[in-house]
Amino acid sequence: MKKLLSYLAMLALAVFLMAPFVWMVLVSLQPNKAPIPTLDHVIPDHPAWSNYRLVLFDQPNLPVWRFFLNSAIVTFSVVVGQLLVSSLAAYGFARMQFKGRDWIFYVFLGSLMFSGPVTQLPVYLLVRSLGWLDTYAALIVPGVSSAFTVFLLRQAFTAIPNELDEAARIDGAGDFRIYARVVMPLSGAALATSAAFSFFAVWTDFFWPLLSTNTSNMRTLEVGLSVFKTSYGSTNWPLQMTATVIVMIPLLVGFLFSQRYFTKGIMIGSIK
Amino acid sequence: MVKRCYVVVAIMLGVLLAGCAGKGNRGEVTLHLSNWGGADDDPVYARKIDGLYRQFERENPGIRLEIESVPDEYVQKMILSFVAGTAPDVLSLDASSAGVFINNGVLQDLSPLAAGDPTFKASDYWANVLAIDQRGKALYAVPGDFTPLVLYYNKKLFDRAHVPYPSGVWTFQQFLEVARKLTLRDSSGRVIQYGYNFTNWMPGWIVWLWNNGGDVLTPDGGRAKGALDSPQNVASITFLRDLVLKEKVSPDLSQTAATGVDPFGNGQTAMEISGHWELTSFKTAPKLKLSDVGVAQAPTNLPKGRTVMYEVGFAIPKQARHPKESWKLIKYLTGHLYQQAYQQTGIAVCGRKDVANERATDPREQQFLNLVPTARGPWGAQVVGYDFVEQEGKKMMERVLAGTDPKQALSEMADRIDSYFKVR
Amino acid sequence: MMRRGKLGYLFIAPATFHLVVFAIFPMVFSIFLSFYKWNLLTSERSFNGLSNYVYAFKDPLFWNALWNSTKYAALSVPLGMIAGLAVALLVNQKLRGVTIFRTLFYIPAISSGVAISILWIYIYMPETGLINSVLGMLHINNKTDFLKNESLAMFALVFMSIWVGLGPKMVLFLSGLIGIPPSLYEAAELDGAGKFRSFWSVTLPMLIPTTFFVLITSTIGALQVFTPVYIMTQGGPNEKTDVVGYHIYVEAWSKFLIGIASAKSFVLLLVIVLVSILQFRILRNQLEGYSTT
Repeated sequence: MKKLLSYLAMLALAVFLMAPFVWMVLVSLQPNKAPIPTLDHVIPDHPAWSNYRLVLFDQPNLPVWRFFLNSAIVTFSVVVGQLLVSSLAAYGFARMQFKGRDWIFYVFLGSLMFSGPVTQLPVYLLVRSLGWLDTYAALIVPGVSSAFTVFLLRQAFTAIPNELDEAARIDGAGDFRIYARVVMPLSGAALATSAAFSFFAVWTDFFWPLLSTNTSNMRTLEVGLSVFKTSYGSTNWPLQMTATVIVMIPLLVGFLFSQRYFTKGIMIGSIK
Repeated sequence: MVKRCYVVVAIMLGVLLAGCAGKGNRGEVTLHLSNWGGADDDPVYARKIDGLYRQFERENPGIRLEIESVPDEYVQKMILSFVAGTAPDVLSLDASSAGVFINNGVLQDLSPLAAGDPTFKASDYWANVLAIDQRGKALYAVPGDFTPLVLYYNKKLFDRAHVPYPSGVWTFQQFLEVARKLTLRDSSGRVIQYGYNFTNWMPGWIVWLWNNGGDVLTPDGGRAKGALDSPQNVASITFLRDLVLKEKVSPDLSQTAATGVDPFGNGQTAMEISGHWELTSFKTAPKLKLSDVGVAQAPTNLPKGRTVMYEVGFAIPKQARHPKESWKLIKYLTGHLYQQAYQQTGIAVCGRKDVANERATDPREQQFLNLVPTARGPWGAQVVGYDFVEQEGKKMMERVLAGTDPKQALSEMADRIDSYFKVR
Repeated sequence: MMRRGKLGYLFIAPATFHLVVFAIFPMVFSIFLSFYKWNLLTSERSFNGLSNYVYAFKDPLFWNALWNSTKYAALSVPLGMIAGLAVALLVNQKLRGVTIFRTLFYIPAISSGVAISILWIYIYMPETGLINSVLGMLHINNKTDFLKNESLAMFALVFMSIWVGLGPKMVLFLSGLIGIPPSLYEAAELDGAGKFRSFWSVTLPMLIPTTFFVLITSTIGALQVFTPVYIMTQGGPNEKTDVVGYHIYVEAWSKFLIGIASAKSFVLLLVIVLVSILQFRILRNQLEGYSTT
């Protein structure tokens, strides 16, 4: 009985969370320029797949493929950069001893408090004076290290028993060797989790790419989508929903491949 | 694992560098033209305009043309592109925000280029249209196209109600009576047809202020207090509010939003105030024939009607690197061939008199041309930060429609504008 | 034994350099900016003393924005946490296919913020929107324009934020739950505690570290919310959803009041730091209280 109730509750919740997505796909298949359908007419008689062709290929001024490529390049670079830079720092914080270590780590933690609107303006001016605005550098460099990733990886590295690197040390390995040969290989799950988190954070970042790019060749998919919102006006819902579905697809695919890192809660076990 | 990462990073860097190096062949100039045309739901139209751009490249070997479309937050994006040093070579300058670029001195004065070009004649343009982007003798943009705002009416609905079409000067009161007659209810009292379609869009409803003798800013454009909160404006805003709330001759805003279709285009309202671009959507409207659309002037309580006109010009930023080629492009965009083709899209009235007059055989087009002398450019062409005023106007109207007293709402709006103008 | 010496600095150098350049320097620079009037287009800059701060504190719209953000955080954080904990308890059962549900519940959180916001505009539409369509089928008033209604718009944003944030909060609490040693429950059972009592005396206290983490991060996030407001309401109706993140954005990037936006950002930063310290204090006392009993 209790089992049945649990299933019912989970099913209801799943419907609540998924219904908007289903509806989004159905509206995207309504004929171009059609008004929003009422619920009893939401399943289209003749799905208008042509909406997808129209949004993807028939927009000489809005190169959706270019947006996609930009998102891919930026996200990939940031994620790889974060893993490298942050894992080095995490190793230093977790497994080495030096003066002021904890103090510096607290500064890292504290910096998590100011992001978004608070520092965007000065970061914008900084990137501008470096001459990076509207380039990949502007989109990538400010993200290649993240205090959050440092924090996550430090927790994971602390959990690795010290005996393992003692053995390596006896063999004459230095810290860089231990980092690359012992700690990193043992932290695959933590690295994957951090990578997955950064992937979605960067791919769906909106504020920064909105500000730091201003030509359509440099837009990311997320900013490109917001453009679709205004372009089709408040009246062409099917096309807007088509653009929305197109943006969602790579995210869903990425999630299907990485979902176990999100839902198993590997990282959280280490937070305590 | 780490090693593999290095390899991938190296490849990515290679791709990036290759992408940067690939730009621009020697001896070729690439011009960037910005506009706010964005995603289009009509691919035929998009291709046609694109063909015109390619035509320019064929006529001018050695110049490549790239279109920078910024459909969202165009003004903000353009300001940021100036700040970033990536301003386009030719900027589409919307009159409603021209002030921020002209007054901050980031545009080139085109009058020397124009004076050196025998094919440029100021007499090709209406003086009051040209004046929008002028400061004294300095010219900051060449008009491409423009539109005065007009009152559209649905002849079929007028005929059905046996109401004569509006013509010439008519007062707010006369308008109200017409709107009442054109508002129809079914047996249960539900409105099935509205007389007027009010949209809360300040660039549109400003004609109601002007036609009652009011204005938004003081004549020098410096302040709102003393202009915006005038009794005339209070009367106009009250009048508009009553159209929706008291007389119910216009749908309320959320009703319009919910249907998701333009009620005028759908044959559900008899009148609306808008610009020339609206004709293109009437063409494809399911329940409206273009031949049923009439064009009249907005109601006025003054001896002569007034209206606002929105114009798009082409400007060259001071930081642009190829002013000569940019001027060539401007001449092409304001030339006979491009203007004629552009005019066929029906978006607006052409800046050039000769091309615009070619269409005057159509009575609707003639009516637009008739109204040009009564039209004035928007405040945004003269002052910095007028887009903020327009956003505040929208909010003010929302408050009034939600029950705030118009006088109080206008006075609050004036305070907000002035406190912003003081620090802008 | 851990290695002592200077090598550690080398490891943290890249990340620390990045932190200094892209977080600490901007912070300091923003304080500097807050004393200036700066026209970005003409690059004219003049010292303005404290007048940007005076303007900020005299600006009723800034106070309104701070208040709206407080309201948003005060509603969305606790409600989101309760929902997350409840769902975590639900999916922390040994049931077939439970992982599929966990995965499904996470999907809103990985979605694009812009896409989600556009989607929810339509969900909240009067008459034709998803919610009103369902109400209409049940013959309930379906004319409510949630996002244009002064008293409902904020709740609409909060409701959406719970929908989006459910997955991550569920996972966080879930791993907290998994980490509780079963021996504690067995001990409680021996003491004669029922299900309810063991929830209060074992589950909740053991979740304090997780709760602390969720509370602090989601409060910081909530105080800086931007995208849904930018896409869905632009602060309206009547500034009822004009949260401080959006307010500062408009000051900086729409009105280009660089100095004033910096002053307001700095005030926001102080608020965030104060709130975080406050939460830390309260929860630390809680934590100590539990560990002594």
